[in-house]
Amino acid sequence: MLDLKLEDIDGILVRYNVALEKEMTPDEAAEELYPKDELIYPIAKSIYEGEEDDVVDGLKAAIAAGKKPIDLINDALMVGMGVVSKLYDDGIIFLPNVMMSADAMLNGIEFCKSQTTEVPEPKGTVVCHVAEGDVHDIGKNIVAALLRAAGYDVTDLGRDVPVDEVIAAVVKGKPIMLTGTALMTTTMYAFKEINDKLLEKGLKLPFACGGGAVNQDFVAQYDLGVYGEEASDAVKIADAILASGNDIEKLRAEFHKH
Amino acid sequence: MVKKYTSMAYAKADDMLFGNAKFPVKTGLGLEIGAGYTTPEINYAPRPQAGKSKDKLIKEYERITTDVMSRMVQIGAPSIILETEHVEQMSNNPSWGAEVAHAQKTIMEEYHDEYGIKCALRHTIGDIREDRDFLQLRGDKYSVFLEAFEECAKSGADMLAVESMGGKEVFDYSILRNDTAGILFGIGVLGSIDMEMIWTDIAKIAKKTGTVATGDTDCAQANTAMFIAGGLLDKNLAHTTAIVARAISAPRTLCGFEAGATGPGKDCGYENTIIKAISGVPIAQEGKSSTCAHSDLMGNVTMQCCDVWSNESVEYHGEFGGTTVQCWSETLAYDCAMMNTALKLGKGKDLRDILALSDKYRDPQGYVVSYENAYRVGQAIAKDGNNNYLRAKNAALESCNIVEEGINSGKLRLTRFEINALAKVKADLVALTDDADKFMSESLTKYKQEVAVFRPENYGL
Repeated sequence: MLDLKLEDIDGILVRYNVALEKEMTPDEAAEELYPKDELIYPIAKSIYEGEEDDVVDGLKAAIAAGKKPIDLINDALMVGMGVVSKLYDDGIIFLPNVMMSADAMLNGIEFCKSQTTEVPEPKGTVVCHVAEGDVHDIGKNIVAALLRAAGYDVTDLGRDVPVDEVIAAVVKGKPIMLTGTALMTTTMYAFKEINDKLLEKGLKLPFACGGGAVNQDFVAQYDLGVYGEEASDAVKIADAILASGNDIEKLRAEFHKH
Repeated sequence: MVKKYTSMAYAKADDMLFGNAKFPVKTGLGLEIGAGYTTPEINYAPRPQAGKSKDKLIKEYERITTDVMSRMVQIGAPSIILETEHVEQMSNNPSWGAEVAHAQKTIMEEYHDEYGIKCALRHTIGDIREDRDFLQLRGDKYSVFLEAFEECAKSGADMLAVESMGGKEVFDYSILRNDTAGILFGIGVLGSIDMEMIWTDIAKIAKKTGTVATGDTDCAQANTAMFIAGGLLDKNLAHTTAIVARAISAPRTLCGFEAGATGPGKDCGYENTIIKAISGVPIAQEGKSSTCAHSDLMGNVTMQCCDVWSNESVEYHGEFGGTTVQCWSETLAYDCAMMNTALKLGKGKDLRDILALSDKYRDPQGYVVSYENAYRVGQAIAKDGNNNYLRAKNAALESCNIVEEGINSGKLRLTRFEINALAKVKADLVALTDDADKFMSESLTKYKQEVAVFRPENYGL
């Protein structure tokens, strides 16, 4: 076949990612962020490495040294996950690393809960679902994992969720936010029905939507809709609600980019 | 038993060209695919509120069909394919899909009769074999699934397709955890098992109804990897991992043709150049004219060997230039006019190479699907064509080798992260057994334990 000369390629494409790549390796960057406490450090590092067994070993050591299991959730597990989240936000590590770290952290939380009768205090509850008629749930699964990793209590309703079931979960769970994902244009119409039923009941909570065919214009058509372009936006929207309240217009001003 | 491909349809990569397939397919109203010319294929989605009732849906598809056919006649396009990808309501209620097919075909026949435009209607049935909690690949859902094919075929669809989801439960778990063995198991083993079953049955329906079983695509898995990988600056998945998933998708998609499909394969099967190299069937592809649906770093290279050129899918609504289906079908038609002009002038291979080269070094995915590399992946598959596991592993390893060669040439420049991810995937693959039974046994044990929604009985295991 015909071929390009090496020196001609730069005139056809620019590898912005190669030019921008950080000098520091991900491991080096993580090392700079770990807490220095010698009991917390191995837990945080094990979360970054996604090593579930090592996380539990670290927790056992910390508990044996006198740390309270319930405190370790915020003081060690969330701190370790915070390192992972920062590296992901900075573009240093990729999503699979975050997912594996989230698995390790959640495993650690379960272990801590098994060691105490105290109940951990979540940052808030978020209800997640995939629109009725739609069985594509990888996006929702990422959203739920990232929210849990950020300390939220997630009620995961699964996929192909009937409208009334979503409403019932919101009534029961009193979440700070509802999320919806969809792949098809005809399934995402369910979002509008959910919006209308929530308003009928006087429930004015942000309804963060995204996925496949979902776009900002559609989401902005209903009163509670806040569009999330990336799965990681769900965490940012939830954090914004905790920080500044659930004013939909303010959230749209921050997250509607187009 | 299906007959597996163990040799290549083409003696060499250079023999492959757009608009030309070793085994052309006649379909619809005067259309022949892969017989020396390319044809545009417009794909669309109804507006959200159109799904509220059957009547609204039929009306929406009538508008879409009329808009496309009228625009094609207005610009003098010699041929057009309409692809209706079912919304779930149409596949779950086979009579709905059938009525839509009938309504569309009636309009297309009127245009064919009046203007002689060559045209065909493809219906892509939704893979509805899921309930809320589990894939339910066999059983009652499967009966409705097959009924949807048959009813559409009887009512006007000329070409039958699907984007099936066998293996997706294991794949979804694995791709988010950099689990190479799980990706291989989900796509290459479980996906292949499911493909052999469904395409044997779909091909029978096509034969019975005089329609064309066109093929499948690994949209649910390889495209998921590609979408998660995103653009050059995205940080969700290594593109080197995504191309390994793509390579593994080729032997899986090939199963459809081994079970009786004849092409043209589905547009979003970016593995299709590999498929064409092995099987000689015509293929549909999408690229720069599917940016209405997604971005994929392979705008031109996918056109290199296509026989049908598609826009993937666009929501039906108004634009300045007409409705979206009018705008995008017109764009596709001009793309095809360019390719067909090159063929008439004897410049087809030059254009093919220009198309491939314009993307080849952009990304490891484009690098591997560039036709001469795609051919090599095809050879790796055909070498162990009778063994679904081994040929998937071969394809994955060969794609790693090809990307490494590209890096070593200096022309494919990747980030350190991408290179490390490639090394990890390759090391994982090298460490895997060559014994298919052993791999199957180990994987069943591991994923039954790790993936709560994985049910081996879906695959007859």
